[in-house]
Amino acid sequence: MNNVTLKSPRVQLGILFNCIPGVALMLFVCMISFAILSPDFLSLGNLKNVGVQSTILLMISLPMTLVIMTEGIDMSIGALLTFCGVVVAYVLANTHSLPLAIFVALMTGLIIGAMNGAIIVYFSMPPFVVTLGMLGICQSLALVLTDGQSITDVGETIGLSYNGIFLGIPIPIYIGILCYFVTYTLLYHTRFGTYVNAIGGNREALKLAGVKTNFYHVAVYAFSGLMAGLASILLTARMSAGHPTAAIGMEFDAIAAVIVGGTSFEKGNGWLFGTFLGVITVGVLRNGLNLVGVPSSVQVASIGLLVLVALLLDSFKSKT
Amino acid sequence: MTNLLSEIKDSAQLKNLFFRLLVVFIICFTLSFLTEAFFTVNNLLNVLRQASLLFLMASGVTLVILTAGIDLSIGANVGMSACLAAVVMTNTGSTLLGFLTGIGSGMLIGVGNGLLVTTLRLPSFIATYGMLWILHGVTYYFMGGATINGFDKSFRFIGSGYLYGVPVPIYIMLIFLVVGTLFTKDTVYGQQVYAVGANPVAARLSGVPVNRRLMLVYILSGMTAGLASLVYLARLNSAEGDIGEALTLPAIAAVLIGGTSLFGGIGTIFGTLIGALILTLVLNGMNILSIDGNWQALVTGVIIILSVLLDLVFRRKSSTG
Amino acid sequence: MQNNKLTLVLATAMTLIAGHAFADGEKIAVFTKNSTNPFFQAFRLGADSAAKQMNAAAVTHYVPTKPDSIPEQLSAIDDVVVKKPNAIVLIPVDYKAITPGVKKINEAGIPVINATDHSEGGSFVNFVGADDYSTALAAGKALVKALNGKGNVVIIEGVRGVLGNTNRVNGFKKAIEEAPEMKILTSQPGNYQRLQALQVMENLIQTYPKIDGVMTANDAMASGAIEALEGSNRKALVIGINGSKEAVESIKAGKMLASGDAAPFLQGCFSTMSAIRTLRKLPIPKEIIFPPMVVEKANLANYDTPPEKQVCPTWASVVK
Repeated sequence: MNNVTLKSPRVQLGILFNCIPGVALMLFVCMISFAILSPDFLSLGNLKNVGVQSTILLMISLPMTLVIMTEGIDMSIGALLTFCGVVVAYVLANTHSLPLAIFVALMTGLIIGAMNGAIIVYFSMPPFVVTLGMLGICQSLALVLTDGQSITDVGETIGLSYNGIFLGIPIPIYIGILCYFVTYTLLYHTRFGTYVNAIGGNREALKLAGVKTNFYHVAVYAFSGLMAGLASILLTARMSAGHPTAAIGMEFDAIAAVIVGGTSFEKGNGWLFGTFLGVITVGVLRNGLNLVGVPSSVQVASIGLLVLVALLLDSFKSKT
Repeated sequence: MTNLLSEIKDSAQLKNLFFRLLVVFIICFTLSFLTEAFFTVNNLLNVLRQASLLFLMASGVTLVILTAGIDLSIGANVGMSACLAAVVMTNTGSTLLGFLTGIGSGMLIGVGNGLLVTTLRLPSFIATYGMLWILHGVTYYFMGGATINGFDKSFRFIGSGYLYGVPVPIYIMLIFLVVGTLFTKDTVYGQQVYAVGANPVAARLSGVPVNRRLMLVYILSGMTAGLASLVYLARLNSAEGDIGEALTLPAIAAVLIGGTSLFGGIGTIFGTLIGALILTLVLNGMNILSIDGNWQALVTGVIIILSVLLDLVFRRKSSTG
Repeated sequence: MQNNKLTLVLATAMTLIAGHAFADGEKIAVFTKNSTNPFFQAFRLGADSAAKQMNAAAVTHYVPTKPDSIPEQLSAIDDVVVKKPNAIVLIPVDYKAITPGVKKINEAGIPVINATDHSEGGSFVNFVGADDYSTALAAGKALVKALNGKGNVVIIEGVRGVLGNTNRVNGFKKAIEEAPEMKILTSQPGNYQRLQALQVMENLIQTYPKIDGVMTANDAMASGAIEALEGSNRKALVIGINGSKEAVESIKAGKMLASGDAAPFLQGCFSTMSAIRTLRKLPIPKEIIFPPMVVEKANLANYDTPPEKQVCPTWASVVK
């Protein structure tokens, strides 16, 4: 006798539901809801907007995924992003050289990120404390460099990185996709990535196996800083100015996107694509709420709900 | 009680406390050296009162962090509980009801957090982060941006009053310190909280009701936030939606500077008090020394890193040499 | 069965949210900086009142969920441009960094009114405002007068890097500069927070035995400073900015000297009226500037109605 069981449509739907991660379901639900509620949501112009608006957050969430996978956290990335943006504007205003500005921003991000990593690793200090301290340092540096004002003499060229369009697609989207693939390659196709993946279990075993754990560990934070430097170019381009408080607080959005996407502090498992989905979902939610014209207090509460529901869906699935 | 005394006599514990206090003394010494306005009875009482406000919030969240969790909602909890208590007090004229509302609100929020973490098994970062946004939204909605002012003198006593020349919040801080330390060191519940943080699997295997203990710490964290909100209300004599918003990170920083580990299982309430003292001393010092506003974030950041670093260096030296 | 219930719940939720968005008449989008400052609350109330009075429009408010977040305001502008409201009233978070956003609005052909802070770039139909600098200067002068031009003052600032704060502090400083026998002992940040201002004031009381005047950048901080002074049995004259209900009560009770009022309710009224009039092809002046006012014991009678109960004056009564 054949044991062929015909699964009812509801069971089939249930199986499908089980396979799709919570964040993807939330994204789907948000998109459907907003498409119904607002005639403008699905317009090409609006979707392009969401993509472009999400790029900066994506660029700092990708390295944050790696940091969290190593059981760490980077509280300074918002302030570092802000400071690098100010540095870009400062260099542009004083030298009018875009290549130099880009170089200095990347170096600033890289060096400060590496400093984070070095202090954490070589002094064995908790990442939360070190990066919290660095947050204050970067915040002050940004204020001191600008004396509390915007620096606007940045020229026209930098604007292209945020507003430019190539073959009908906005440039930031190319940059975002590029960053995604670079991070993906780093994470899944290099020794560095193997380390990051493995750290969620056993740092001691890796050391014994001869892996240069300290170097890689510092590199995770250095990478985070480098991406902040890169993202700062887009940030300054977006405002055509360097502003000392522009991205303060963005680290929470990044951390939330990473965790909503499925990466876990405790288990150390990470899902890069999940981070991508998390970032897009937040972007879609904010955009949709603006299009519908929801009052600010409700927007604030909705973001909290989104975060909770996405993870609730995941936890329900692991029980059924 | 004998347990507590023997703990104190335990030299390792004493050494840890000593090194923590050493950092505080270094800061005080430096400030006294730099300005004569610092080392006066009035200023020291001033600093202690400010530190107690921060400590009240931080003491509850210490328990959560001991279980390897985190409670990001404490600031929003303080805001909402304070506003609810204010609304009740002005509408009913009863201080008692206000107290009950504040503590009750804090507790309920703690229950909410606890449920999210234990029953729904959400990571505490996300659960309390989501709760933070929701509380903010709800508070702004029902306060409508308004402020509520003017409370009873008897109520205000807990925040602005003096007893034998010493500000009341300092007494409250001492009570919390004693109760908190007794709880963590001297009760089974406390020991179990440490066990859950250090190794939840082993704890469960040895019979610790992990979920119940987790629930307990979130409720306690919420309750202390509720209590803190009442003291803030009494101190400020007004309630508005965003009280407490700016206090979350400093409270968590105070816990971490005090030596509690985010990975759980290590830390003390007294350590949190030290952390609160350090942060308050820094602000006090910056105001007295008239340090330019632009540099204040950097000074705070550097001191945070240095105090944890110094503490670690001292402890390592003492255990090896 | 379960699916039906779910659909019903979703549908109800969506209708509740959607109810906010659709209405008859002109649609005006109003951008303010944050939801915490009573200035902007009064502004929004003014905008709503004006729209109701002119029987016109639906006003939708866009407020960043993170206070004073430039990227959020720029994103909201992107989203709103897609929605195409009939007109926009814009208070820029930062007058320089907003320029790319204004240009987007201009390109979309939506008429836009600039309120409160003069934007550096882009083209506007008109400007309605009163500025922080002259308001603070006027309040400062009131303090100087009350102290007979002699004495020591301390300044408690708001958030560094935020434009409104920079202007207010500069206004305060100018007022003291003009009084040669007065001295600024120090200027310390209170971050617009009541508690922080209270603690800063306590610390300053320990440092300076003689403080005659306290200039705070907003009324919440003034309240904190007053609590600190009362708690230490010290006396000083305190001024704030905003002219909020709390300040009015405080001035009535003799605890506070004065508060600078930049007429936010009126600004809200007239900027929205300008927007509606533009759409109806009625004439409007290039600029409507409200002179800075200082709320003091002498003129308290004018401030007895809270903004929620106020009604916009007629256009003709203000614009000649």
